[in-house]
Amino acid sequence: MESMEYEYIQLLQKILVVSVSLYLFRKIIKHMASFMNVEKEPLKVLVTGAAGQIGYALVPMIARGEMLGPDQPVILHMLDIEPAMEALNGVKMELIDAAFPLLKGVVATTNAVEACEDVNIAIMVGGFPRKEGMERKDVMSKNVSIYKAQASALEKHAAPNCKVLVVANPANTNALILKEFAPSIPEKNISCLTRLDHNRALGQISERLNVDVSYVKNVIIWGNHSSTQYPDMNHATVITSSGEKSVRELVADDQWLKTEFITTVQQRGAAIIKAQKLSSALSAASAACDHIRDWVLGTPKGTWVSMGVYSDGSYGIPSGLIYSFPVTCEKGEWSIVQGLKIDEFSREKMDATANELIEERSLAHSCLN
Amino acid sequence: MAKEPVRVLVTGAAGQIGYALVPMVARGIMLGLDQPVILHMLDIPPAAEALNGVKMELVDAAFPLLKGVVATTDVVEACTGVNIAVMVGGFPRKEGMERKDVMSKNVSIYKSQASALEQHAAANCKVLVVANPANTNALILKEFAPSIPEKNITCLTRLDHNRALGQISERLKVQVSDVKNAIIWGNHSSSQYPDVNHATVKTPAGERPVRELVANDEWLNGEFIATVQQRGAAIIKARKLSSALSAASSACDHIRDWVLGTPEGTWVSMGVYSDGSYNVPAGLIYSFPVTCRNGEWTIVQGLSINEFSRKKLDATADELTEEKALAYSCIS
Repeated sequence: MESMEYEYIQLLQKILVVSVSLYLFRKIIKHMASFMNVEKEPLKVLVTGAAGQIGYALVPMIARGEMLGPDQPVILHMLDIEPAMEALNGVKMELIDAAFPLLKGVVATTNAVEACEDVNIAIMVGGFPRKEGMERKDVMSKNVSIYKAQASALEKHAAPNCKVLVVANPANTNALILKEFAPSIPEKNISCLTRLDHNRALGQISERLNVDVSYVKNVIIWGNHSSTQYPDMNHATVITSSGEKSVRELVADDQWLKTEFITTVQQRGAAIIKAQKLSSALSAASAACDHIRDWVLGTPKGTWVSMGVYSDGSYGIPSGLIYSFPVTCEKGEWSIVQGLKIDEFSREKMDATANELIEERSLAHSCLN
Repeated sequence: MAKEPVRVLVTGAAGQIGYALVPMVARGIMLGLDQPVILHMLDIPPAAEALNGVKMELVDAAFPLLKGVVATTDVVEACTGVNIAVMVGGFPRKEGMERKDVMSKNVSIYKSQASALEQHAAANCKVLVVANPANTNALILKEFAPSIPEKNITCLTRLDHNRALGQISERLKVQVSDVKNAIIWGNHSSSQYPDVNHATVKTPAGERPVRELVANDEWLNGEFIATVQQRGAAIIKARKLSSALSAASSACDHIRDWVLGTPEGTWVSMGVYSDGSYNVPAGLIYSFPVTCRNGEWTIVQGLSINEFSRKKLDATADELTEEKALAYSCIS
């Protein structure tokens, strides 16, 4: 008996030594490779609804390294519905025709399993658009089914630690449904896009103050990516020749900041549709790249961004909602910026958009029954 | 210290290609990740509202490199001070239109834009014509902007060049970044000649000729050529719209390599003013293999041209000579 146990222990020790050696060996090789400029392993990026407008703007941005960095090879997975298959194939052809050096493969499919296989990043652009005459409940109902099914596929087939960004509206609630039906995806990995609104706010300030947009930072979009969103300038700053100044001080027009500025940002989507007869694809795609890039590669020091994330109760916002907060990102993780002062005006706005999200959640849950 | 911004003009900017192109320019894909840009966007009055929508989106995207946007229907304002001009605007062929009708409309457009560019663009402005018929539009532009150095006027065949690389990479199942030195000769039309006689693939055993690895001359001389020539039509059939994504991307590649230089040992294809190289008639805008250095292109000389290639080079040159005659007849 004793000798068998002894041999067993010896075997375990050998296995342990071999495993540790292999692990260290691998680490050393990787370390050396980074000096020798060996290419990184490609990351797989899924785009759903890829045959549509936003997809068409987004995929070349990903293929050029705007989402994950100019040294990060990518493999694109593009998913759409059967009626869009020929168009989707056309997009695949164009991606090949563009001879992108970073693009190491393209999968174009109507099969959700194939699309989700091993993906590290998932951008959910596909959804059911609201058509004339449709009630909120009808749109919600259709999208709830879509996101329930896609949650399943992602949960089962995506790579571990897959990061998810929901773009299709109603973005926050679609993301919430996805989270609820993909319980094994860490809740911190499921987000929705409010970076577009965040960037729009930066743009409006830069136009108002006639400064470079790259000098404006730390706006916040609170809440729902809808007309109840609250663009908050209370902590935003501008780099000037005499240092960082607060936006509120430089604009010197609280009335404008509390009214016209807010409605301009809230209704910008409609303004774009009015001008172009199509909704904003270029800026939405660009904002999606910014969202993922900052999430994965980190936010610059002293700067935060806005992301729709799973609420933990910060700032008195009910937990269990996907709500847009100011966040910083480091090592692939976001953290809500804590301790910002919230005045009465802001409190009301933040609560109003939270209430809308609670309503949407009830509506979504009612569609599931 | 940050560089001075470069002014980039895009004509026809409210259209499909423009919409794909302007975010690429604003992200530094065309001129480098450290080069600030100011975009000038021009389109015709019926498109003014849509053009303004594009401007709004560019502002909404908060691009760090984008230092200004001018959206206008005034060609003088559009051309003022521009360092790079990408001419995407033109009259598209509609059903039932004769070649002469399309040519006639485009000749007028490029004649007047030539004037505006010549008078208002920055010195040494680099011009890339994308709108079809690209080579002949570029030729007209050159003829009516005599003070713009002829070496600064080019047309886009990089799209066809990239398509050729893509087809080879698919055939050989290799990464497209390992394939290089295809050539597109001649006209950006169905008479273009995609030539891989000098193209190579990077393999673990070093650089090998494409011809050797494909080992199927019939395919290379037949189906491959036709696929590249007709790829535009194949995209339209699949998407119901013409190729904007890949055209915009290739326009960025064309300018970037022109301005920042081609990598060592690599050439690209550009439609440039012929100097008689390879017995191609001078005085045409013809696509050649070129290397780029210090902001200037140079035709790659001394490549052997076999009989098959010679016929193809001449056929596309003949078509360009015909187009030139047609264009001139429209001016009279």
